[in-house]
Amino acid sequence: MKHALLGAAFAVAAATAAFAEDYMIMAPAAPGGGWDSTARTLQEVMVAEGIAGNVQVQNVPGAGGTVGLAQFASSAAGDPTQLIVGGYVMVGAILTNASPVSLADVTPIARLTGEAVAIAVPAASELQTIQDLVEKMKADPGSVSWAGGSAGGVDHITVGLLAKAAGVDPTKINYVAFSGGGEALAAILGNQVTAGISGVGEFLPQVEAGTMRILAVSTEARWPGTDAPTLMESGYDVAVQNWRMIAAAPGLTDEQKAAVLADIDTLAKSEGWKAALASKNWADTYLAGAEFEAQLAKEVEATTAILKDIGLVQ
Amino acid sequence: MSTFEFLLQGLGTAMQPMILLYALIGVTLGTAVGVLPGIGPALTVALLLPVTYGLDPAGSLIMFAGIYYGGMYGGSTTSILLNTPGESASIVTALEGNRMAKAGRGGPALATAAIGSFVAGLLATLALAFLAPHIVKLALVFGPREYFALMMLAFVTVSAAFGESTLKGLTSLFIGLGLATIGIDSLTGQARMSFGVPQLLDGIEVTTLAVAMFALGECLFVAAQTHGLDDKVEAIKGSVRMTAADWKRSWPAWLRGSAIGFPIGAMPAGGADIASFLSYGTEKRMSHHPEEFGHGAIEGVAGPEAANNAAAAGTLVPLLTLGLPTTATAAIMLAGFQQFGLQPGPLLFATAPQLVWGLIASLLIANVMLLVLNLPLIRFWVLLLRIPRPWLYAGILMFATLGTIGVNPSAVELSMLVIFGFLGYGLRLYGYPIAPVVVGLILGPMAEQQLRRALSISQGDWTTLVSTPLSATLLGIAALALIVPMILRLRGKGQVLTQIAGDSD
Amino acid sequence: MTGTPGTGRSPDGAAFIIAGLLAVFGAVLLWDASLIPDKGGYAGIGPAAMPKVVGWGLIALAAATVAGAFKGRLASVPRQNPVPLLLIGAGLIAQIALLHVAGFALATGILFAATAAAFGKRNLILTLPLGYALAFGIYGIFDGLLQLNLPGGWLETLIYGG
Repeated sequence: MKHALLGAAFAVAAATAAFAEDYMIMAPAAPGGGWDSTARTLQEVMVAEGIAGNVQVQNVPGAGGTVGLAQFASSAAGDPTQLIVGGYVMVGAILTNASPVSLADVTPIARLTGEAVAIAVPAASELQTIQDLVEKMKADPGSVSWAGGSAGGVDHITVGLLAKAAGVDPTKINYVAFSGGGEALAAILGNQVTAGISGVGEFLPQVEAGTMRILAVSTEARWPGTDAPTLMESGYDVAVQNWRMIAAAPGLTDEQKAAVLADIDTLAKSEGWKAALASKNWADTYLAGAEFEAQLAKEVEATTAILKDIGLVQ
Repeated sequence: MSTFEFLLQGLGTAMQPMILLYALIGVTLGTAVGVLPGIGPALTVALLLPVTYGLDPAGSLIMFAGIYYGGMYGGSTTSILLNTPGESASIVTALEGNRMAKAGRGGPALATAAIGSFVAGLLATLALAFLAPHIVKLALVFGPREYFALMMLAFVTVSAAFGESTLKGLTSLFIGLGLATIGIDSLTGQARMSFGVPQLLDGIEVTTLAVAMFALGECLFVAAQTHGLDDKVEAIKGSVRMTAADWKRSWPAWLRGSAIGFPIGAMPAGGADIASFLSYGTEKRMSHHPEEFGHGAIEGVAGPEAANNAAAAGTLVPLLTLGLPTTATAAIMLAGFQQFGLQPGPLLFATAPQLVWGLIASLLIANVMLLVLNLPLIRFWVLLLRIPRPWLYAGILMFATLGTIGVNPSAVELSMLVIFGFLGYGLRLYGYPIAPVVVGLILGPMAEQQLRRALSISQGDWTTLVSTPLSATLLGIAALALIVPMILRLRGKGQVLTQIAGDSD
Repeated sequence: MTGTPGTGRSPDGAAFIIAGLLAVFGAVLLWDASLIPDKGGYAGIGPAAMPKVVGWGLIALAAATVAGAFKGRLASVPRQNPVPLLLIGAGLIAQIALLHVAGFALATGILFAATAAAFGKRNLILTLPLGYALAFGIYGIFDGLLQLNLPGGWLETLIYGG
């Protein structure tokens, strides 16, 4: 009896392994968050589009994704069926948490989606342009309080980069970290702080309702839905995007990596993925392969530098 | 159309038999999953959301509302009967409710919780419908300094949960405050008390601590009694229904709980847990039977249960009027709304009135359905207590670990569950109250962060804390609530020192 | 806590142990806080402030506990039976150890049987199968229907598929 059971188990295991195109996607966050929903959307679309027969999602939350990343790097090495979702937040978290495992220990495949970070003030504020805000910061950095997400996150990094680009000492910025975009938004709406910084999607409904004004967006190009200028065109050399990506296991052969890249490419260009992006209000910022790797390397370098300047990383 | 006509139209849609059936299914599923220890409303809604996907908008909206209310209510059932609160807002319910259940009054405790949730849900949903735009303006007045003052008030009022010994209550509270410092400090990104263990960087999950301390701690404590427990559990003593006296004592508590819960829930950094703490403190102070608190006072169940339900409806105020998800449950609800094409935000009431009123009508219907389903079920729920101890506690531990495993199946997280379970056992053994530990873990970081935010905005000027009438008033009330009983005690007994130094039993 | 004096452990001894543990916890907080760089920024109080306050608070409470013990005001506790505690503890540790090796159901069934044993049901032929049956049912409902992602082992794969 026992042998029969074991035999059946092996048969099932062999049968599952026979699907060459199965994937296990790790979401290095708890169920319900952004990375989790990215992983689950990938799962849905991959199956629906016939890219993979069976896709599983595994949640390993903790420390800005670094707990999941560390587990992935060690347990998935050389396995082409394992993927991990990640994002720009991870770049910062790896540095601030002094994580022993970094994005160099996995194989980045592609950037899938992203969002601009926007700088906004309450409608009643006397600050009309991003220049007004920067001038105020130059005169007295402490008098400009910024409400944004957690310390060392993309919001904080963007304020640091802006200060540096404008010639203000980044250690002198008065950044007030709030837990979650909701609380920060409430602080801005309630006139508790001078300015706010968060994902542009959180501000757009407020702008529409006339309670808030976006002064600038962080991406290289202007963002749909707002006529706010970019930081670049306002004269500050800052370009940041809060992106989400998919990466594969370390130690893949070139053929294995090419196969994963091809699958993700099929996915990113599929109608199902485009429909999913539209329904979730995610922007398509697809960038794959060598171009993405080069971009990533540049961002890691810039982020490391600014986190040192702000004083979050020694 | 006026507000009222919109609501009537929404109710009309919701009254169709199929829609009512969906509401019933939603409430049943929500209660069934929410009843498990360690699975609070947020996880319940997240788990069951896919069930609603296949239905038409009206049907899925109402099933969703049913799941939400069912999940909220399910948690209080196990808190009362088994002393296993799975989420922070049910902790105070367990304090008095479980005492009542152990005295054979589980029926009335469940009834007052169910009816209180209904009354609060009704009042709060109506307030949501008619007052949301005004309430939200008030909620935005709360900045970091006002929240800090509110937290101080909450700290003072939770001393009502200390039990009879101030020393032991304070000790428990400080253990919680100490545990709260573990993890990354969210204001600076600095790691504290994490000793290089990456899993500790996120701090201690409130659910893990609550499930460990209450469910696991209780289980260990019961198991270790050589001679069995003196207080033999009686499933039912007297009626399972509420007596006339129960009604008389519950009514004011329900109303006060609703009045406290709704505005606190509407504040972006408020939340159902704080509302339930404040309500419990208020009930203890206002009660004609303060001596019953800690031994099964029905007000102590009625008030907090009403408050946490009203607060849950309150969180819909910033969600619907500003698009702000202020709690985990609200964030998941936001995801739910988006599938109905409802994009919460400041213009929602203007741009999609049918959907908003449909949702509000659904909440009202689901609320009624919850009562219809659960009142008759109470007599069956109390039979849970008749399950022989070995099976009952083995089942509790199974579900208690299930919640943790489902969210984060790491060995570190599960080890924390075990360690805190034994800590909970130790605290019980020596008569230290459990609730203040969890309260400290919840309120400690909130108070610390709000204080530091307020000071950061004012650039280090401490007078900012009393610079608005609101914050000054709240701090003043907190100070009075702390000092007045001390003075009374000093004058009355002259024993304040011994009270602080070594009160026991 | 109620208990007749003399039948339990020495109350004062317990109080000293409790006070000692509180003081150690407080000291660890203070030690950890001393290693945190001062990053008060504009607020003036940084991440080290709260641990320091709590640390000193715990040490003060430890002192108050000792003072209370000298007055003999800490009640004694009834004698505890260590066997059930060990059984439940072992069940929990077994669950953690087996969870990722054998899967949710096999690990959790053992916890069920161990807990039942702690409460007097020592008949493993009855309790183990019952625990496994329940755990498999739970796995099926939560992992299969509700997508909760419980760690599965070979047995789960066999019964519910990949």
